[in-house]
Amino acid sequence: MKSKRFEVLSQRPVNQDGYVKEWVEEGFIAMESPQDPKPSLKIEGGRIVELDGKRREDFDLIDTFIANYGIVFDGAQQAMAMDSKDIANMMLTPSVPREEIVKICKSITPAKMLEVVSSMNVVEMMQCMQKMRARRTMANQAHVTNVNDNPVQIAADAAEGALRGFAEEETTVAVARYAPLNAISLLVGSQCGRPGVLTQCSLEEATELELGMRGFTAYAETISVYGTEDVFTDGDDTPWSKGFLASAYASRGLKMRFTSGTGSEVQMGQAEGKSMLYLEIRCLYITKGAGVQGIQNGSVSCIGIPAAVPSGIRAVLAENLVAAMLDLECASSNDQTFSHSDLRRTARTLMQFAPGTDFICSGYSSTPNYDNMFAGSNWDAEDYDDWTVIQRDLKVNGGLIPAREEEVVAVRNKAARALQALFKALGLPPITDQEVEAATYANGSKDMPPRDKVADIKAAQDLLNRGVTGVDFVKGLAKEGHPDVAQSVLNLLKQKISGDYLQTSAIFDRDFNVISAINNRNDYQGVGTGYRVEGEDWERIKDIPNAIDPRDI
Amino acid sequence: MANELEALIRQIVSEIEGAKGNTTQYSAPHTSSTPNTTVVDRVVTIKDYPIAKKHPEWIDLGQGRDLSHITMDNVMAGHITMDDLKISPSILKAQGQIAKAGGRDQIELNFSRAAEMTKVSDKRLLEMYNALRPYRSSKQELLDIASELDGLGAPICANFVREAAENYERRKKLKGDN
Repeated sequence: MKSKRFEVLSQRPVNQDGYVKEWVEEGFIAMESPQDPKPSLKIEGGRIVELDGKRREDFDLIDTFIANYGIVFDGAQQAMAMDSKDIANMMLTPSVPREEIVKICKSITPAKMLEVVSSMNVVEMMQCMQKMRARRTMANQAHVTNVNDNPVQIAADAAEGALRGFAEEETTVAVARYAPLNAISLLVGSQCGRPGVLTQCSLEEATELELGMRGFTAYAETISVYGTEDVFTDGDDTPWSKGFLASAYASRGLKMRFTSGTGSEVQMGQAEGKSMLYLEIRCLYITKGAGVQGIQNGSVSCIGIPAAVPSGIRAVLAENLVAAMLDLECASSNDQTFSHSDLRRTARTLMQFAPGTDFICSGYSSTPNYDNMFAGSNWDAEDYDDWTVIQRDLKVNGGLIPAREEEVVAVRNKAARALQALFKALGLPPITDQEVEAATYANGSKDMPPRDKVADIKAAQDLLNRGVTGVDFVKGLAKEGHPDVAQSVLNLLKQKISGDYLQTSAIFDRDFNVISAINNRNDYQGVGTGYRVEGEDWERIKDIPNAIDPRDI
Repeated sequence: MANELEALIRQIVSEIEGAKGNTTQYSAPHTSSTPNTTVVDRVVTIKDYPIAKKHPEWIDLGQGRDLSHITMDNVMAGHITMDDLKISPSILKAQGQIAKAGGRDQIELNFSRAAEMTKVSDKRLLEMYNALRPYRSSKQELLDIASELDGLGAPICANFVREAAENYERRKKLKGDN
């Protein structure tokens, strides 16, 4: 006989997910591997000669880079001598200021950092995240893509996403040569939805920088770092090449962050028997050492691996927390799809949603799942109302605001028309009125008429060959009747001169006022302090369109 | 007091380097533009942030133009190109000081490298990055890049590349090692 109960359970979405037992030798262990190094630090003659049990002559590239740049010597001996649980408890205690914790964290080694976070459960970690997040006000980031790289749809989805509250929007390509058009569509669309939204296009490293230099994008994120030397090399970089690239971005006035995450080393088969979290912590020290302001982490595109092992989702929260402890901006993933279960994907997100991070998702798909070219997101356009209702239920700011249909339709139309005008001005393949209409009301690419992709790709290449830049977008938009959008694009380009948004956790409001960890420093120190959902924010969060007024009944 | 003095000296040195660099720039913003000589003549702190709002006068686009020059009218009249929308070494240094004042020492070092890199053309900078990727360059090729950077007045970047060359040799990441 088969149990009917078990038959029902076996059909539940959660049982369509894959799970594995721990396997220490191959790194299938989230965070407390017996093979993880024990903390140690020896400084002689002004340099680190031993780091976490390894002598300098045995250092690989990552150890060397961390030893040379990642650890502040001043106060290091005292910090290393502290009990790891004491550090965790200081962090957990609201009245101990964030600055005091950051000062300790800057001077401890990766293995020590691992000990500190491994001593905590998820509720303690969430409380610490609330305090350690760099920017006082939390935010969110969207993915804006579609299977056909349809530019009009990208513009419309970007506008809607911006209206709904995303502070950053990221696109990528189905076909690489479409990149310039995707970047332009995202830029124009975002500014139609809400001026000041930052945009990026995820591409191969050198190409991504080139688009930024030309003013097609405002920032970059897909600059990956890894926790073992072999995987770093397989990723076609070294800590020095990535550090050089980071400075190159800053030299052009462009905001950037690195990307890393638990599970990437296991996925590439070279985890050296270390826990996923230990290897990720090394990535965060590389980021810190390179002087990069922030990180996108939380397993990101490797989420299937930590999610399959015990305590894996806890490790993902721990890696976000370590980023914050190192005073880095944290775009905390909640990104790639990892589960068939709505319960599981929600539980995973609550870890960052409830305490708030600099960007809770990195990103949230502004399209249906089938249009997400980052292999699907944990959150899609279809979940917009779930997200805003959960915000309302918990009185939490998850970075989004409820939107009215008429407002959404209006900004989608504005974005589609602005892009139509800019394509005309730049001599790109025309966008028809029919396409504008379709994008205005579309849910996904299935609702869009097909475009001549060959002509688009040819035009995209030609655009680069002609040396078209962001200034040409400003001119084209203004000339073709969209002066307000032109002004926003110009305002965004202008930010590269003053460099204010190079500082940690920087975003802009609709008037291009910069909001960063410098002028919006997280000052949480217990009940009644730090960011509170109140005033205008609360009015907007609670105002969902489908709530009835009981007085009307 | 010692810190303030140090910051001031750093600032002055950076200004001298910045001015020197502009004369050897691959793609100077304007052939007739004056070198970027705005001196932020005091210690920059968090109170000076954001620079665009609090110190627009620190931003020198050359030819006596400041941030207020970047207007729609000037764009439409063709007076503004992408070259005008670039950060200067002195502003990067100032942002570095703000980062340091906020307790972020490594960001200051990153911005110091960045300030030097403003002297390198887009094309050459991308080439240098690619040369630093694993198995791309011989040790000598990397040392040549370091010398080139020294010649451009970019000693921090030059030493960074030298450090990479030595470590790549030790860990077998040079051309032919794979």
